[in-house]
Amino acid sequence: MTPKDQIITIDVIEPQATFSLREICERGHCHAEFVIKLVSYGIIAPLEETADIPQWSFDLGALARLRKAQRLQRDFRMNLPGLAMSLELLDEVESMRREVDRLNRQLRQLLGEW
Amino acid sequence: MDFKDYYAVLGVGESASAEEIKKAYRKLARKYHPDVSKEADADEKFKDLGEAYEVLKDPEKRAEYDQLRKYGARADGSFEPPPGWQSASGFGRGGYTEADARQFSDFFEEIFGGGRRSARGFDTGGFGGFRQGHSMRGEDIHARLPLFLEEAFNGCEKQVQFKVHEADEQGRLVARNKTLKVKIPAGMRDGQHIRLKGQGAPGVGGGENGDLFIEVELAPHPHFTVEGHDVVLTLPVAPWEAALGATITVPTVDSKVNLKIPPGSNTGRRLRLKGKGFPGKHPGDLIVVLQVVMPEQHAGQAEALYRQLAEAEKNFNPRSRLHV
Repeated sequence: MTPKDQIITIDVIEPQATFSLREICERGHCHAEFVIKLVSYGIIAPLEETADIPQWSFDLGALARLRKAQRLQRDFRMNLPGLAMSLELLDEVESMRREVDRLNRQLRQLLGEW
Repeated sequence: MDFKDYYAVLGVGESASAEEIKKAYRKLARKYHPDVSKEADADEKFKDLGEAYEVLKDPEKRAEYDQLRKYGARADGSFEPPPGWQSASGFGRGGYTEADARQFSDFFEEIFGGGRRSARGFDTGGFGGFRQGHSMRGEDIHARLPLFLEEAFNGCEKQVQFKVHEADEQGRLVARNKTLKVKIPAGMRDGQHIRLKGQGAPGVGGGENGDLFIEVELAPHPHFTVEGHDVVLTLPVAPWEAALGATITVPTVDSKVNLKIPPGSNTGRRLRLKGKGFPGKHPGDLIVVLQVVMPEQHAGQAEALYRQLAEAEKNFNPRSRLHV
């Protein structure tokens, strides 16, 4: 077996696996101020939004959203209110796409087209 | 090496003005941005767009590209730069740029690549905190892994391929394809992540390696749909099975069970089989939705029996809700 082709034991992210503010900044290559701004615009949320900001922790969904926000900001030069709205609309589109897919499949089954 | 027609990528003519190029780029970038588009090759298209725009928006690079386009492209679509070619506007000297040049093609690298691939000092687009000289944590890598429902249900072993950027002996940043065999545990649902610690890009200057995050994507199943932890099956039943009740063999994702249909059932009735949904600490249920179906062709005596039934059920109005 080459090092390129190895079997590794995996570590499944449990819902409770979290990143501290410091860790999320490190992984997102950004300053804490940027994360705090995203939180104040409701783009991402810590698990518990306490007044003690350094104690905030985030889940993997928040990290993924932070990265997405960064890409959109970089590629479309969006400001934060625009970013917040785009992400909300994208979420809505995504959940509608899923729902339409699911309903279409059920409809096809009900119509006997399987 | 293939020649890249940057004008075709942006869908503009070679005489397009800077303004037209900017407009075309902006429009296509919105369409193919991988965070927005659902097209399968959006990633690739978006990269091509960025690369094409990087060249055509810069008058100096565009002039060089036009020259090469005229002389370098061969009839079969392949391309070799003329001997001794050296760009005057390469990335190494081009000053500030927002593009992530690591993503660009070999073609771009060959033409404009003078010394841009250094592990220290590249700039991924400037969100701060990612600058030369420090020890730096390796990039996390996010990959998607499509699974069939059966694979997600039972767990499986899968090969995951991804690109990782790491420094070679000369300290230049090179893309390397990495393949890992990963044991996927049973019960992974759509959108769930697996973290492979330290399997992302290597750290720089003693920094920790990044992680690889794999997002599970469930492929649609011809019979089953998934709702959270539950699996939903539409089950066709004959009218007499629905009316009289029956015990029916029903497929689950990984085996079969016998299901008792209560008498007097109708289309749309949901029957719940506890614990036959997604496995896990809190296993989901299998939800069976009944669908009463008629035979395509009836047996000979059926007509007489239907007449008897029509007589016996003559007070039933299936259209009462339509007030007719």
